[in-house]
Amino acid sequence: MLSDISLGRYVETGSILHKTDPRIKVILYIVYLVSIFVVNSPAALLTLFALTALQLVTAKIPFKVTLSTLKPILPLTLFIFILNMFTLKQGQMLWSWRFLTVTDYGIERAILMSLRIVFLILSTSVLLTLTTTPLKISDALESLMSPLKVIHVPVHEMSMMMSIALRFIPTLIEETDKIMKAQVSRGADYDTGSFINRIKGYVTVLIPLFVSSFKRAEDLAVAMDARCYRGGEGRTKLNPLKITGRDIAVLIAFLAGAGALIAVEVFYGK
Amino acid sequence: MAVGISVKKVDFTYKTDEGEDTSVKALNGISLEVETGSYCAVLGPNGSGKSTLAKVIDVLEFPDNGTVAVLGYEGKNDEDCYKIRERCAYVFQNPDNQIVGTIVEEDVAFGPENLGVPLPELRQRVDEALKYVGLYELRDRQAASLSGGQKQKLAIAGALAMRPKLLILDESTAMLDPISRDEFLDLVEQMRTDKGITVLTITHDMNEAARCEKIFVVEYGQVTMSGTPSEIFSHPEKIIKAGLELPPDISLVNEMSKATGNKITEEDIKDQRSRINTAIRFAKNASEAPAMNLPEERKKGRKILEISDLSHSYDSGKTFALEHINLDVYEGEILAIVGKSGCGKTTLISPLNGIIRPQSGDVRLLLESGEVLSTTRKKDIKGIRQKVGLVFQYPEYQLFEETVEKDIAYGLIKMNTPGVNREGRVKAAALLSGLTEDILTRSPFELSGGQKRRAALAGVLVMKPQILVLDEPAAGLDPLGRKEMFETILALRETGTTIILVSHNMDEAARYADRIFCISRGREAACGKPSELFENEGKAKSYGLSLPLLYKFSSQVKEALSKDYPGIDVLPPYPDAQNEAASIIRSAMKC
Repeated sequence: MLSDISLGRYVETGSILHKTDPRIKVILYIVYLVSIFVVNSPAALLTLFALTALQLVTAKIPFKVTLSTLKPILPLTLFIFILNMFTLKQGQMLWSWRFLTVTDYGIERAILMSLRIVFLILSTSVLLTLTTTPLKISDALESLMSPLKVIHVPVHEMSMMMSIALRFIPTLIEETDKIMKAQVSRGADYDTGSFINRIKGYVTVLIPLFVSSFKRAEDLAVAMDARCYRGGEGRTKLNPLKITGRDIAVLIAFLAGAGALIAVEVFYGK
Repeated sequence: MAVGISVKKVDFTYKTDEGEDTSVKALNGISLEVETGSYCAVLGPNGSGKSTLAKVIDVLEFPDNGTVAVLGYEGKNDEDCYKIRERCAYVFQNPDNQIVGTIVEEDVAFGPENLGVPLPELRQRVDEALKYVGLYELRDRQAASLSGGQKQKLAIAGALAMRPKLLILDESTAMLDPISRDEFLDLVEQMRTDKGITVLTITHDMNEAARCEKIFVVEYGQVTMSGTPSEIFSHPEKIIKAGLELPPDISLVNEMSKATGNKITEEDIKDQRSRINTAIRFAKNASEAPAMNLPEERKKGRKILEISDLSHSYDSGKTFALEHINLDVYEGEILAIVGKSGCGKTTLISPLNGIIRPQSGDVRLLLESGEVLSTTRKKDIKGIRQKVGLVFQYPEYQLFEETVEKDIAYGLIKMNTPGVNREGRVKAAALLSGLTEDILTRSPFELSGGQKRRAALAGVLVMKPQILVLDEPAAGLDPLGRKEMFETILALRETGTTIILVSHNMDEAARYADRIFCISRGREAACGKPSELFENEGKAKSYGLSLPLLYKFSSQVKEALSKDYPGIDVLPPYPDAQNEAASIIRSAMKC
């Protein structure tokens, strides 16, 4: 029932992007995030499209996977497109009916906004979720945020919590599935009936799930104690993050891409 | 030999928020000593304080009174505690709740990382531990994707990477199937010989206990018996009184001793060889034929469920979980579905009440009125769910209501059957599943594990299903709990309910089922009466079945007997020790 839920859809293709240090990818992600929102002109959008396509090819992401990452956000993109198209009143009016007006500016914005969403998702996927395991993302965040330890932010604990949460997602999905099946076989029906009834139906799933999660948490805490866990102090790491020459090369190449994008925007932008 | 663990007069009480009255005294002045390098088992019924004892030894809990010394350290201060925990590895019962790392190798590294082991030694330790348990090839896999047996091996690897001196197994094999269990125990014994690790195992499996050097029986937070397995098991009355049972082979010897009026001594059951010799001696010395206590032959009922050409695949057709299964189920029988882990047992029972709609093939329910309900027709599904009850593994984790009564009634309300005396049905279901009436008003979360399981069972029985499907109904229970669960199932059959149960315990399948259906890799491997399938080891093996332990031992006894009495009739085995003992003695007396 819940088998189609996949979190952090990591796709292993063994590309150079997969092997790049996750911290580099997080930094690049932030750079591209900002760039996407700076871009306005058609020329820059075209450049962005070329860059994104290049990234997808570099990451060796199959076209089918690219499409399937975009599919879930299609309704949102459409919604943003329509909202922008019919509500913006600046510019040359092209068509109007009662309170709805379509202007050339509105169409332009609508296209820009929906493309931004598409590029946003593609960047997130190619730089993070598709090419980096959640565990590595959590490692990268721990490492990048470690300066915050000085002001007593519990960076290690936060990262530990995140990786344990990631570790238990498949276990909890499996458990939810079991509970739902057991209740369906006792006559539960989660898909029909009024909205309130459906919500109530899920409550009966959540209670046993919560109870067993507390039990799991307790067990896990004892198991961690038994394995001598005593916080981040003095811990070593099996796979410490290390920046190599290749990582620097990737960083420079991608920064150059972002630089080019901004240059095009400045040159052609209004 | 040096003392590895020394526990002296330890008390431990679980304190609750509600004050003295509700606090539970788990350990009551317990004392024991374990020598370094030995292999010891702790036996005892549920709630006797076994796990608490193990936790006190690994200083995961601190005793109220008394002293605990492990490898010369007393857990008096923080540093000593970590010294003990570093040297003492602990494998828990539930494989899922002790895995910390998302990736297999990350989890193995967790312990040594905590100890601050630097690279490259850390990498070396992890690889070595993974190779030792045979998971090296899977090191990059997600830990959650491993099977139960592999997860427990992963836990062992995590322990090994810490280079422990002492290994505590807290019901570590309870959730494993017999093959994974044997593999796990072989691994533990190999570790003992290779690395000289002291092993303390807490178990409900008497056969596992018989492999140890020393057994401690714990009851009411105290050690009530201790000694070698032969010392302990030569007192059958005491063992049974403690809510335990004998291992199948010793149980047969014991029944033979009872039938012939002999007494078992420690020497008689020292090892496999002497157990066979003792059995033969008893058989030869018998003076009168012991009575058989056979259940009446049951008449075959009408066909009630028909599974035809059922196939099911996962990953859109890539892996087949079930292929072309055909099976008829008859009213009033107990049908056991057996097979190795991952062979498709659970996938086979899910379509029986329409939880999974069959991808191809059909499951049809034949009602007494002549009406036929098919899982391929959507409108029939509700009717099928009312008439076929399904109880999954560990159903106690699925309770959710405020009171047991409400939880049991859930199905009745959901199914919305008019004109039903709800209260009466709930009460009847509770009694049928072995609960008492006073429990109905309590919260299901206050109950003991066994009671919770019964409450969950009652929640299915309340629909008065004609067919009850149970997935591993006795998994994780102690010997007494298992026996009571099967008694409940037999009583249910007497009320006319047809029972289909999935089991990986061959002894129980042979003992309680009328017929056994064996699956191997998603296909039917064999189907028939237990006495036919298990007639001899070769035949069982050809179906991919392992012989019940009782049969294995009794066939060895019979083989040895036939050397002395060449003309002896070798009868098909009886599934319970008492009748099998009588049968062996009778055939020996005929010669």
